[in-house]
Amino acid sequence: MNLFQAFKMAFKSIAHKKTRSFLTMLGIIIGVASVVIMVSVVQGQNQKNLEYFEKMGNNKISVDAYYFYSSEGGNEVFQSLYDYCLGMQDLVVGVTPNIQTYQDMTIKYGGKTVSTQNYENWEDMITVVLGSDQYGACNNYTLANGRELSYLDIQNTNNVCVLGGRLKETLFNFVDPVGETITINGQPFLVVGWYERKDLEGWPELDNMILLPYTFNRTLNQNSPINSFVVKAKNAEATVEAMTKLDAFLASMFPKDADGIPTIGDYYIRSDNASAESIQQQSNMQALVLGAIAGISLLVGGIGIMNIMLVTVTERTREIGIRKAIGAERRSIIAQFLIEAAVICGIGGVLGIGIGYVGTLIAGKFLLQGTMLLPSAGITIGAFAFSVVLGVIFGIYPAIKASGLQPVEALRAE
Amino acid sequence: MLIDIKDIYKIYNEGKESEVRALDGVSLQIDRGEFVAIVGQSGSGKSTLMNVLGCLDIPTYGDYFLDGTDVTALGDRKLARIRNREIGFIFQGYNLIQELDALENVILPLIYRGVPVWDREDMAMEALEKVGMADRAHHRPSEMSGGQQQRVAIARAIAAHPPIIMADEPTGALDSKTGKHVLEILRDLYREGNTILLITHDEGIAATAKRVVRLSDGKIISDAPQEVDWT
Repeated sequence: MNLFQAFKMAFKSIAHKKTRSFLTMLGIIIGVASVVIMVSVVQGQNQKNLEYFEKMGNNKISVDAYYFYSSEGGNEVFQSLYDYCLGMQDLVVGVTPNIQTYQDMTIKYGGKTVSTQNYENWEDMITVVLGSDQYGACNNYTLANGRELSYLDIQNTNNVCVLGGRLKETLFNFVDPVGETITINGQPFLVVGWYERKDLEGWPELDNMILLPYTFNRTLNQNSPINSFVVKAKNAEATVEAMTKLDAFLASMFPKDADGIPTIGDYYIRSDNASAESIQQQSNMQALVLGAIAGISLLVGGIGIMNIMLVTVTERTREIGIRKAIGAERRSIIAQFLIEAAVICGIGGVLGIGIGYVGTLIAGKFLLQGTMLLPSAGITIGAFAFSVVLGVIFGIYPAIKASGLQPVEALRAE
Repeated sequence: MLIDIKDIYKIYNEGKESEVRALDGVSLQIDRGEFVAIVGQSGSGKSTLMNVLGCLDIPTYGDYFLDGTDVTALGDRKLARIRNREIGFIFQGYNLIQELDALENVILPLIYRGVPVWDREDMAMEALEKVGMADRAHHRPSEMSGGQQQRVAIARAIAAHPPIIMADEPTGALDSKTGKHVLEILRDLYREGNTILLITHDEGIAATAKRVVRLSDGKIISDAPQEVDWT
């Protein structure tokens, strides 16, 4: 008996008992579908996280410090913090203040006007950012054209700006803005460069920004302290080291009293590396838990198949007897039942994958902010192979049981 | 000698109080081309004897040589081969597979035999024609009468041209007219040179065989040739 014949027999037998075959498959269908959906959603989430960290930039340390007293003393404190950051030359790639303006800003070019106070459509809201010549490097921006702010721009508080990708499109469409002059609250600013769009989902403000020299803080923010910095470290180890140093420096600058309560000011140091790690760990954990749940449902499906196969074998004992009487070898009987189980699981697997695809699409829409999410080829092939293997594993016992009967015993069965 | 058994015992629950000796020291020789009826009351052991002769069951003790081969020493694969190539079975209950139509049932032993796919259908159709069932080739067993089913079963038994045909009460479930027809087919097979073993409790049917072996309580009580008129 060849393999093709065995498959034909299996299909015939399955087609002959449609309802039962479907019920048998149901466990596998649900199991495979849930594995596909769960793994796909976790993978989709991971991908989004990865994209986030890639666009936000790695090895980026955010330093926020708060001085409880007058802004006069505060400015000195923050200048020394900035100097300290700049002093860690062997560890950092760049340092920049990272603050925004808080007042109404209206930006005009030609007949076009945008504003920082557009609450109607928050995605079009403009952020005016104050930074140094290293702002782009620290925040993972790529220049599309022109240049970054220069050291002299900062020193002299020049009326220059760098535009984010979306804002550039809003104001200039496809025209290169470098060398053009825009007005901010009536004051003219020369555009010296513009950044490529990041297009990070959920973060339109990253592209809807306009960067000015941080020395404008004096006029635009009523000289409130520059209390937020971004430090871009050279690598992951440098990040850890720089954070330790910064922590020590800020701890000495803002001493705490005996109860651990800060006296003159407080600070926070945070890097995405740590959150990247913890998010990665979290999603690994998620994948593990969800995978285990899905695995259990697959196992239950497999046991269901074994039950049905056992019943089938008992029911078909007479048929097995007939087949043996007319010359079926033991291995032919085993092959027949194994292939039947594998085919049932294979069909169930295909149906499960189909449902998994639909389910993943729906899950992507509702769980991951409408991302177009589809299972990867790996999951699809894996789930199919797994369901067939499951069929074989759970088909083996009944098949061996069936094939071991003496023909005469099997023929006696009713 | 085609079939040669010596001191065959089939004992159930041996050594216990409920011990049953279905075959109690049976020795029998059958030559190629014989037409033998094995006759006995129910419980005489005749079906057990056929199961042993047909390699469907293993005797507890005794030797069995089929065409010179010691069958009792063979494993599953070789036994399956013998059942497939040497012996064609006809059962009282037909034993057709319900999900398959007549042609597929007849093809089944050819599949197990490894007959090439392009020869199978021709061989099976030839067998069906021989029993007059060619026009029912695509009917399922449930769509056929008992006599028709038994003829399909005979076609299945002879499709692979085994030299030995074993029939266990082949007419037991049929009315006398269709029963006669089935016996007719067996006689034709005999005339073609096949060896026929017919197991029956019916003296009328036994009377049509060339040699009658009588069994009682698992023992042979008589074994004699007889004159028959088949005209």
